[in-house]
Amino acid sequence: MKRIKSFFRYDNIGLLYILPAFAYMMFFVGYPIISNIILSTQNVTVRNLVNGQKKFIGLDNYIAIFKDGMFIKAMGNTLTFTVACLVFQFLIGFVLALLFSKNFTFSKTVRGITMIPWMMPMTVTALMFKFMFSTDVGVINFILRTAGIIKENIEWLTTPGTAMIAVIVANIWIGIPFNTILISTGLTTIPQELYESAAVDGANAWQRLTRITLPLLRPTIESVLVLGFIYTFKVYDLVYVMTEGGPVNSTHLLSTYSYKLSFDMFQYSKGSSVANVLFLILLLVGMLYLKITMQGEED
Amino acid sequence: MKKKVLATLVSAMMLASVLAGCGATAAAPAPAAQSEATEETAEAPQATESADTEAAPASDDASGDVTIWYYWETPGHQEALDHIIQEFNGQQDKITVQAKYVPFADFKKQLSVGASAGELPDIVILDNPDHASYAAMGIFADITDRFDVSTYYPGPVNSCTLDGRLYGVPFGSNDLVLFYNEDMLAEAGCEVPKTWDELLDVATKTTKGNVYGFAHCALQNEEGTFNFLPWVWSTGQTSYEIDSEGGIKALEFEKSLVDAGAFPKEAINWTQGDTMNQFISGNLAMMINGTWQIPTMRSEVPDMKWNVAPIPQDKQQASGLGGENYAVIAGGNEEGAIAFLQYATSKDTCLYMMDHMGYISSDSTIAKDQFKGDAVYQVFVDEMQYANARGPLPEWPDISDAISLAFNKVITGESDAAAAAAEAQATIDSILGK
Repeated sequence: MKRIKSFFRYDNIGLLYILPAFAYMMFFVGYPIISNIILSTQNVTVRNLVNGQKKFIGLDNYIAIFKDGMFIKAMGNTLTFTVACLVFQFLIGFVLALLFSKNFTFSKTVRGITMIPWMMPMTVTALMFKFMFSTDVGVINFILRTAGIIKENIEWLTTPGTAMIAVIVANIWIGIPFNTILISTGLTTIPQELYESAAVDGANAWQRLTRITLPLLRPTIESVLVLGFIYTFKVYDLVYVMTEGGPVNSTHLLSTYSYKLSFDMFQYSKGSSVANVLFLILLLVGMLYLKITMQGEED
Repeated sequence: MKKKVLATLVSAMMLASVLAGCGATAAAPAPAAQSEATEETAEAPQATESADTEAAPASDDASGDVTIWYYWETPGHQEALDHIIQEFNGQQDKITVQAKYVPFADFKKQLSVGASAGELPDIVILDNPDHASYAAMGIFADITDRFDVSTYYPGPVNSCTLDGRLYGVPFGSNDLVLFYNEDMLAEAGCEVPKTWDELLDVATKTTKGNVYGFAHCALQNEEGTFNFLPWVWSTGQTSYEIDSEGGIKALEFEKSLVDAGAFPKEAINWTQGDTMNQFISGNLAMMINGTWQIPTMRSEVPDMKWNVAPIPQDKQQASGLGGENYAVIAGGNEEGAIAFLQYATSKDTCLYMMDHMGYISSDSTIAKDQFKGDAVYQVFVDEMQYANARGPLPEWPDISDAISLAFNKVITGESDAAAAAAEAQATIDSILGK
């Protein structure tokens, strides 16, 4: 009895508070993940999904997908996609955040408007960009041609290399507001006095940026990059609507390839193996994120 | 320390919720399927015409609800199906049939998800190359002794058959032919092409300005494969022999059309519907497309002068056999479902559906009376005897994927015909276990 009482004192009571959420998560998140891991160790295909023996085959599916050129390609595509998106989203988002931190007329209004891409349903954005990037009637070719940058229309979505550029551009557009808002919030935490005294000491704008803003923003920047990585790495709908992984599989990401294996080609176990690799990578990045935020709290 | 543990736990769960969407691709689709199932009760058909009560088709032990899934997006198709369902519901009071539209892009996924969650309708109307996969999965009822298909064409029946057992009823068939814009061909001074060389020539001559000479849907999926395979069959080769003289020749022919500038590369992103829209907008002089487009074309552009002809050939005449099959879900309301199928395939009802949808009946006794005096449809009916089926093979989707990848590589210039053919063949052989 004493034990029970002492258990509920102080910090331990917190465990009780998170119990409902924990139970919910175990059921709706934990169960699918575990069930997916089990699926990936079996040989489930079209012939035994409903009836028939689901044989345990260990890591054979994983070995098979790592020997599959298409998987390696999808992995490379996903990395290219993620890194390219992150770099540009972050740089543009950072510049915009700095801009909006100046209190000019309408700065708040305009900052609000830049949130639109983030709020727009992904499918709508994807269809819009698909239309804009089309070869003969697309506005992007029209602008480039009018400006004299290109002579012949670029076949954006029907040429493997440029299709990747097109989906990356679309995703950068979507991700900029996320970066802008988080960095803006980070900027407001830096005391204005620091800049004032630095100015008195004769620091120029560049020195103020590199010596005050960047170091103090470090925790924010780390969070933005890690969260951005997680969001970008698992993008699915944008690519599915814009290119369906094509042309000739050049824009397949791990997410779209996993879907294709499972639902177009009926190779359920292989599809889930690909999804699990995706999951594992994100789990590692997620743990990195936790480590960073923990350090921040301890400092 | 404890704080840290707590924080770790909470953040781990937050993270997991972010990841859940991708981790659960195949494993936990049950909630989605359930919500779909509740939605489908929304449109309960009303009994309208109760006048003709002759021949109530329901057998004595058939009763209850029957749900149908289908994927036709054309409003005319949906209305035709709805019409016969209402008629059926009005004729008898034991069975109530309802239909639910599932978009084509989601159809296979919904069936797979439904199969693993046990949330399936009683009848599905599905694309015939997919039939064998689901029959092999075991979700379709064996109706060998319960439905008579002896008067049906062998090609469509074959697509419902697996290991000698009948797992469905052909709904109706369609095939592909060459559509051409009469004005554009006349302006370029061209005759209707009959061979590949002539097609290339006419396509090149009719290409100018925004107009491309020729296109077919070349999507990297089943739809694209359907439109590409007639080239291969025309050389005398089968779907499983891509790395062959004929297969490579077909790919090279595709390449020559693209290189001549007569075939838009963007066709790799066009559905058959998109291709038809390009044609009726005057952006295409010729296209390959199917029977089912005719009703739409006649109502959309009644003044446009277009006609149809057999697909230009290499060695022999060939076309693709398309169409849907009815399948009865095993363990559902099988008796009720079969009672509805008996009714839906009876002559008058079947003719009503076929005529409104622009399909050719798979029942030869009905088909021979269809489209009498309609020259355009007659071309399709004649082409039926040269129409090849895809599969049937449970792994057909994988074969199809390999083939569509090959012609996409050739059209986009990613690799040459020989290399693309060799790659496709390697995949096909590994699937067939050679």
